[in-house]
Amino acid sequence: MELLVTMMVNLLVDMGPAIGAGIAALTGLGAGIGMGIATGKAVEATARQPEAVGKIRTMLLLGLAFAETTAIYGLLISILLIFM
Amino acid sequence: MFQTTGLLAANISDELTEKVFPKNIIEKGIFVVNDSVLSGFIVVVALLIVALILRLTIIRKWKTTPSGGQMFLEWLVSFFDKSADEMTENYSGLMGPYTLGAAAYICCGVLIELFGLRPAIADVCACVALALCTFLFIHTLGFAKNKQRRLKHYLNPINIITDLAVPVSMTFRLFGSILSGMVIMDLIYIVVQSIWYLGLPIVIPAILTPIFTLFHALIQSYVFASLTLTFVSEAIEPVPKKQKKKRRRQAQPQTDASV
Repeated sequence: MELLVTMMVNLLVDMGPAIGAGIAALTGLGAGIGMGIATGKAVEATARQPEAVGKIRTMLLLGLAFAETTAIYGLLISILLIFM
Repeated sequence: MFQTTGLLAANISDELTEKVFPKNIIEKGIFVVNDSVLSGFIVVVALLIVALILRLTIIRKWKTTPSGGQMFLEWLVSFFDKSADEMTENYSGLMGPYTLGAAAYICCGVLIELFGLRPAIADVCACVALALCTFLFIHTLGFAKNKQRRLKHYLNPINIITDLAVPVSMTFRLFGSILSGMVIMDLIYIVVQSIWYLGLPIVIPAILTPIFTLFHALIQSYVFASLTLTFVSEAIEPVPKKQKKKRRRQAQPQTDASV
């Protein structure tokens, strides 16, 4: 029993950073959904009003930057977990 | 077979670990320079020299019928000046040049990766410096425009945290995206080294570089400039709106009653 516990603890100590990095990379899920919704809405808006392409594009880029931020945080944390 | 693949993986992670964090090149007491800062110096000197050359050649021969270089310069400057004019009305003379300078530094600081040096922005300190510049601009302009009325904004203590989070989020957005692009390109360079088919080590990075380096450089510099303008225009907004609304609400029923 003790052997099993020590094995589990050793495994967690060895693999902990890798597991954490994997969990941190899950932020991509939310960011992907958000960016997909934003792009879809931008396409709809462009189809409805093709004259406003320029304004829609700048707003879309700003929104994408904000949505992308969470994914970048996750990526940064997983990179730091792997290499530090 | 397994041993060789294990060795390969160990080599890759070792080489990547060497490249992820900046290395100190010069260490003399307090004066410590790592390779990111060095490429930052190179970028600044290159930008200054390019600006001097443009000033001496194209701007001296300014014409009413523009040449190609003049068209490009006019487009570049008026792009930032126009967006600064739209967002920050009175302070566009200050914000236009600042955003152009910051965007040029970020763009060139990332593109220096194409010459084999470490990008200047892939160091947290460079990102913190840029974000703090933006932070100072936001608050000095906000206090210069609204004076002590801006302090009302801090009656709600959540706003303090919101304001302090701005430079942190700008720092890590910039740093994270540039560092991740650099790590992916380094990984590709290391993996490609072991392939010796005809020209593939040259072709694969050439295809992938525009995605991970050029795209990031242009998008991140544009995003940094437009976010700075957005935050400054938010800080400049005139504060006392609630009183006006109350007056209107009081005024409307009166007029209704009189009608």
